[in-house]
Amino acid sequence: MDSHNTTAKDTQVPEDIVLCRACDLVVSKQQLPQGVRALCPRCHTALYDTPYCSINGMLAICLAALFLYFPANLLPVMELHFFGSVRTTTVMGGATAVLEQGYPVVAIAVMVAAVIAPGLLILSILSQILLIKYAIDSKWGRRLLKLLLTQQSLLTQLSMLEIYLISFLVSAFQLSDHADIYFSIGTFCFTMLFLSVLFLLREYDLQHMWSFLDEK
Amino acid sequence: MKNSLQGRDIGICQCPVCQMTNDVSLGACPRCGTQLKCRNYASLQQSWALLITAAVLLIPANVFPITIVTSQGKIAYDTIFTGIAHLIHLDMLPIAIIVFTASIAVPWAKIIGLAIYLTAISFRIPIPKRVLMTGYHIIEWIGRWSMLDLFVISITVALVNMGQLMDAKPGPAATAFALVILFTQLAAKVLDTRLLWDRLEAQDDASRTAENR
Repeated sequence: MDSHNTTAKDTQVPEDIVLCRACDLVVSKQQLPQGVRALCPRCHTALYDTPYCSINGMLAICLAALFLYFPANLLPVMELHFFGSVRTTTVMGGATAVLEQGYPVVAIAVMVAAVIAPGLLILSILSQILLIKYAIDSKWGRRLLKLLLTQQSLLTQLSMLEIYLISFLVSAFQLSDHADIYFSIGTFCFTMLFLSVLFLLREYDLQHMWSFLDEK
Repeated sequence: MKNSLQGRDIGICQCPVCQMTNDVSLGACPRCGTQLKCRNYASLQQSWALLITAAVLLIPANVFPITIVTSQGKIAYDTIFTGIAHLIHLDMLPIAIIVFTASIAVPWAKIIGLAIYLTAISFRIPIPKRVLMTGYHIIEWIGRWSMLDLFVISITVALVNMGQLMDAKPGPAATAFALVILFTQLAAKVLDTRLLWDRLEAQDDASRTAENR
């Protein structure tokens, strides 16, 4: 791969064209006003938008998300009162309950989508920000950043906090027919976690993050 | 054809990982080291294989019970469909609609939609590419929402465990359903959509000339 770096100079692609990732159309790149997204004229896939990616702003949201992550996953998200007996569950507890019933595939799916992927996503973005701020000049820093960025889209796809949030409501309504349902502090933390990750991903621009590796 | 110059025609392609536009002759992306290929022809076969697997698994996911509920000693086996019918019966129509969308409409739409999409590429069926692509974007976006059903099951199973009085357990369909989601998501992700725009001839999309934005 390093040998290609030397030849990159003579096979440089013009700066002002971009290819559509879905249909391979050659599109000439234009300046966009803030908040506007360029779509492919042929297949309407999103091509690029103006990066609005403030590193310090992301760091703040990222830390907030990290602090919320632990109470959101450790505190009970729902309480059920049924003829005097009280049952509570955490997000993790849902996954382990399914596992105990002998459904490892379902347990892994729940675990990955609601606990592991969001956690890794927050940690990964936090490390990317710190690497860009403090270690972009060192060789290991660039290598680590590259590794994190290649995994980024997978992590984004795997974390499904918004779906989990809707699931609370659906199961609360379903169960409220048989028993009393209470939300607790964990639910609040989980909702806030979802909101901070939502805003984090709105700020985050993968293309912009990659461009830090270009500047030498 | 002057508006539809493709990257392949001038020997450049986009890196699938970091989206850098590169010369194909480089072999690997100078930024992230991913191997560069103009088209991934194998992706069509992979996508078909994953899709067929998902379609087969959709049968057990719908036939077998997905939850087993014990209520005051009576055991009820609910499949996806009877679960929704039960919700409608209890006058919880909005919830029934959400669950119906997540566990019946989305998986079926995804499998049928992808099947149409792949057939159009494999057998060059003249369906307007614009329609196919819109459908593909919808499938890509909505696909993950099927996970809703699994989350609901996990919350219910964790909360409702009061023995003979009231108890909920997942059924064998839950695993099949989880795998359906996994395989359909992979089938959509693995496919190189650029193949569609190569294979169908220009006369099929008359709509394109109207649009020159």
